[in-house]
Amino acid sequence: MLTCDNYHLPTNLPEALAIWSNAKTGSRLVSGATDILPWAREGRAGDVHLPELIDVTRIAELNGYSFENGRVRLGANTVYQDFLTDQTLMRSLPCMPFCAIWFADDQIREQASVTGNLVNASPVADGTPAVVALNGEIELTRLHDGSVVSRQVPVVDFIEGPGKTQIAGDEIATAVILDTANGYGGSFQKVGQRRSLVISVACSAALVKADRDGRVFEDVRLALGGVGPRPIRMSEAESVLRGERISHALIERAAQTAADTVGSRSRKEYRREVVVNFVRAALEDALANQPEVQVDFADAKEKTHA
Amino acid sequence: MARMKRGRGMAASWYGIARTATIDRAGAWAELDDGGTGKVVTGVTEIGEGILTVLAQVAADEMGIKPQDVTIGDNDTARSPEAAHAGATRQTYMIGNSVALASREARNVLFEQIADHWDVEIEQLRAFDGEIWAEETNLRMSMEDAVATCKARGVVPVGSASFTAHGTGLDPVDGSGSPWQAYVFGTQVAEVEVDTWTGEVQVLGIWAAHDVGRAINPRGVEGQIEGGVVQGLGQALMEEYITDKGHAITHGFAKYILPTSLDIPQINCVIVEDPDPKSPLKAKGIGEPALVPTAPAIMNAIYDAIGVRMKTLPATPEKILKALRDHVPGREQIAQSARQERAGAARH
Amino acid sequence: MPKLQIDAEVNGRKISREADPHARLLDFLRDELNLTGTKEGCGAGECGTCSVFVDGKLVKSCLMPVAKVSGSRIETIEGLAKPGDLTPVQRAFHKTGASQCGYCIPGMVMAATSALRENPQADIEEIKERLGGNICRCTGYTKIFEAVEIAKAVIAGDMPETALEEDSVEDSYIGANVRRIDAPSKVSGRLKYAADMKMPDMLQMQVLRSPHAHARIVSIDTSAAEAMDGVACVITADDVPGKDGFGVFVHDQPIMARGKVRHVGEAVAAVAAEDLVTARRALAMIRVEYEELPGLYDPADALKPGAPVIHDYAPDNLVKHIPVRKGDTQKGFAEADLILEDDFGTQQVEHAYLEPEAGIAYVDPDDVVVVISPSQNITHHRHMLAEIIAKPINKVRFIMSPVGGGFGGKEDMIYQGMLALCAMKTHRPVQLNFTREESLIASAKRHPSRVHYKMGLKWSGQITAIEFDMLSDGGAYGMSSEGVMRKAAILSCGPYEVENLSVDTRGVYTNNTPSGAFRTFGGMQAQFATESMMDMAAEALDMDPFEIRRINMMKIGSSTHTQQTLETASLDRVLEAAEIASRWEKGAPRVRGAERGDLNGPDTRKPCTLGARIKNAAKDDAKTTERVA
Repeated sequence: MLTCDNYHLPTNLPEALAIWSNAKTGSRLVSGATDILPWAREGRAGDVHLPELIDVTRIAELNGYSFENGRVRLGANTVYQDFLTDQTLMRSLPCMPFCAIWFADDQIREQASVTGNLVNASPVADGTPAVVALNGEIELTRLHDGSVVSRQVPVVDFIEGPGKTQIAGDEIATAVILDTANGYGGSFQKVGQRRSLVISVACSAALVKADRDGRVFEDVRLALGGVGPRPIRMSEAESVLRGERISHALIERAAQTAADTVGSRSRKEYRREVVVNFVRAALEDALANQPEVQVDFADAKEKTHA
Repeated sequence: MARMKRGRGMAASWYGIARTATIDRAGAWAELDDGGTGKVVTGVTEIGEGILTVLAQVAADEMGIKPQDVTIGDNDTARSPEAAHAGATRQTYMIGNSVALASREARNVLFEQIADHWDVEIEQLRAFDGEIWAEETNLRMSMEDAVATCKARGVVPVGSASFTAHGTGLDPVDGSGSPWQAYVFGTQVAEVEVDTWTGEVQVLGIWAAHDVGRAINPRGVEGQIEGGVVQGLGQALMEEYITDKGHAITHGFAKYILPTSLDIPQINCVIVEDPDPKSPLKAKGIGEPALVPTAPAIMNAIYDAIGVRMKTLPATPEKILKALRDHVPGREQIAQSARQERAGAARH
Repeated sequence: MPKLQIDAEVNGRKISREADPHARLLDFLRDELNLTGTKEGCGAGECGTCSVFVDGKLVKSCLMPVAKVSGSRIETIEGLAKPGDLTPVQRAFHKTGASQCGYCIPGMVMAATSALRENPQADIEEIKERLGGNICRCTGYTKIFEAVEIAKAVIAGDMPETALEEDSVEDSYIGANVRRIDAPSKVSGRLKYAADMKMPDMLQMQVLRSPHAHARIVSIDTSAAEAMDGVACVITADDVPGKDGFGVFVHDQPIMARGKVRHVGEAVAAVAAEDLVTARRALAMIRVEYEELPGLYDPADALKPGAPVIHDYAPDNLVKHIPVRKGDTQKGFAEADLILEDDFGTQQVEHAYLEPEAGIAYVDPDDVVVVISPSQNITHHRHMLAEIIAKPINKVRFIMSPVGGGFGGKEDMIYQGMLALCAMKTHRPVQLNFTREESLIASAKRHPSRVHYKMGLKWSGQITAIEFDMLSDGGAYGMSSEGVMRKAAILSCGPYEVENLSVDTRGVYTNNTPSGAFRTFGGMQAQFATESMMDMAAEALDMDPFEIRRINMMKIGSSTHTQQTLETASLDRVLEAAEIASRWEKGAPRVRGAERGDLNGPDTRKPCTLGARIKNAAKDDAKTTERVA
């Protein structure tokens, strides 16, 4: 069980940063708390006593989202359920609803924040590949000589390994900044042992934009999760596809490159096989999910039975 | 190759009712109470199977009252007669029959008094749903009045009963013996879809035909079948308690994977009623037998879909893909040659 | 610890209370406000039994620090309807029989309520997705889906209110769908399970468990724990006054480890204290010195000569061997046209009842030791506890609290003895509520099994002989292993009349988590092997799977594997019923999925692809666009 001496609920960022920088060693930041409470149980960390818990969910500056220069800044209090209820976010970030529907369940999505998910840096976090596909950056904020300063780090670099990130001891993750991808088709693939409330063995996110005739890949974004200690952006496969005539054969060829990305030692054979299939499925689903575009596969006829 | 493959399989099963290879027994007390209500006392309580409702139905039917007018005193070794354990598919069979007999006795006590009061033969009396009447007469009154009449004559209508199931032990050398007096049989068909890209199996349909003896509460029987099927499905596809040198790896529900609402096939129940000749209720049971054929039916369906036979449970996505990868169609050749031999044998 | 001040609105009433800074919303609702309809099933957000609304959003209260709800509006199961009333969702659950043990049901009702509030038009796929965070172990969800669909229709006015009422009964209550009499208390969260009960002056007990699979206990020092403020007592095996030992068939398990531990998670000592946190801190103060012993983790190793001995009384590590012999298998195999031989395995499985073990013990004014717990066998527990605590049997009283799922897993007396000892030592009521993790490592499992199978058949499909050899891992204690081996042996070769058979089932001791009683008691493990073999035989003989079973099936007058003559037999009827109901297309089981015509019928569900609400939203979007255009 988790116990603590103090539980703070700061309401503005300077207050939160001050409490955080003065907190006793071993104190923790809390967002949704959906990870820290299960962590402090038998079989994992066991009984844990922490001096202070600083809850960021009432910090006003962390609420909401804003658009700027083709990017959206999601305040750190953005939770997964927002991607299933907020029409603007659903349209702008087309892979996020599919990622969210696979993430935990309705209840946990109401509490769990995207930012918290990234900071915990689990290799099997569902949010990571989707954010990486959207060229996500994380905003880290701290107090410097009494003033609030922020920096932005690409998520693909930010996560260094299981539970390891580039966040500094006095920083709070205050936002995630993503490309908007209106008009793209998005998809998310995940496999575990069931379909709800399940930790993935592997997952992948895709964003695809075809030309107006549905014949050419104008843009492709692909990322994998669960296959190694760090998130993986499949740049090579993306460049194989970008600008090319859309066909199943090409998708299959691009997908083959996924196998070599698998670094996990456990279940390696399975993961190698699954990610190849995932990339295929992710691309085909993303193409199908594109609004207002009818995709025209070059090799459609041979494949209709598939 | 198509990504999604479907198939069907079936499996049959059998099961014994109540405790195994021993004499089983259960006691109960009953009383027809003021207001024409009923009181039943038994040593067990609900574990979810619906026994309290079954007992209320049984007592009501025997006493001629409504189930909602039955009060059940249960679950206490210091306040109720021995009913022994809540398991072994014995609740309806053991406690149900015991309550039926005790309730019948209480009703007979009442009937004797009312027959005398009305000056009719006891065989003419009938009671149902809170009313008592004498056949071939206009005599009729509420059970409330009947109980009051009985008590005014100085008699409290009570009954008690013990029900016995006669199983015998097994011979230590050849195992011979008669472990149960009642057996049930079941058959299930499963329809699956296998995702050959991920190894995931979705069970889309189950047809479950089970003999339960007389069904006291058909909806309750369905509930037991549906629950059993889903536990069988969990064992077939996802559940596994794993230890490493005795230490649990699956230490919580994040690791020990149970079926959720998204894993549930459409379950089509067929209740077959083959009455038990050895007990007053003629019911048998369904709690445990419902899950026996599910896992083999699913494995047989997976074979039908993709041609690999899963011989160790659970058939996880990882195992399915591995089996597909390692699949050599050797078995099919054996089958083929056996078929040819058989055809040859048939010709001669 | 400085307390938090929590001001909130709970079920329409303003409340103001102090809480520990670490308290979860779940603790606050249950302990401070006595709203015990909200259950704890796993404590880790994995089961949904603790679901409540916070500011209109459904959340899992075990994952929510209570500090987060100050100033919020909370709605629990108790607040959905006025006392004595039920909402349409609750009434629909009652109507369809959607509650069985009932422990998951308050959470499930909350999730169903949330689903219909979020989208009153949700289709079944979306409803299922919205219930995806809530686990039910009893019902198979089917009656729950039915209930939500009826409630949806009634709320929308598509069905009359009368759809929620009980079916009428004609001339007998036997065979009628009488609604469950316990359902109103379950759908409203009013039923008190053992963990929901409170008694004045009650202590909380916690258990120190073994970190080793097999080790000698050199010493236990409880002095530091006993000296702590708020600790009422510490108990070890030394506190057992009578003949220690329990078990369903053999009494080989001490109340707490005596001299050595035999599996990880075995109880070693227990603390009763004024509150849970103190009890847990006291556990950390108990010093146990262990000397590790070589362990056994594979049942095959347990039978090898020179294997470590786990119980002195069983130097061969054998819990039970059940042989069944009938006819002459040598002759049977000689007559066979085809002999199949193969191996099958089943895994260790957890019961996963949503209600973790819980109980209360106290000593009443007449010196009767009373234990209230969801025990599946109070009769036998009373016998065993009387011997263990050296009391006359009428001075021991067991009360069976509502069982939040059992499936055989609550037949073993794995904690009631410790509760009784603490109550006797303190003369105060004592409560123990297992965590989910504790339930997983300390309670019995389904026996993992390995079966070696040999079956001989004639070309006609008739079985001529079977050899069936099953080895099961019984784990560290006997529990129900003997009975499970017996039932597995009796049922082994399935519902088929086999003239010549030789069956052996063996359960052995290892240092794994004990195996015990679990719904089917060995029956499913055995018949999984048999039913797989039957299909393999059917394929080899180019025979429909129903046909090969009919050729061999038991009938009235058949002699069973244990040579009992059957007076009734209904296999013919259930085979026919399943075959007709499923519209079975005849044919041998030789991978004909691609060509069969009986697939994808109206009595199957659609494959789940997830995202029903996204697709539905897209459809709605398209409709809106059309209208605008």
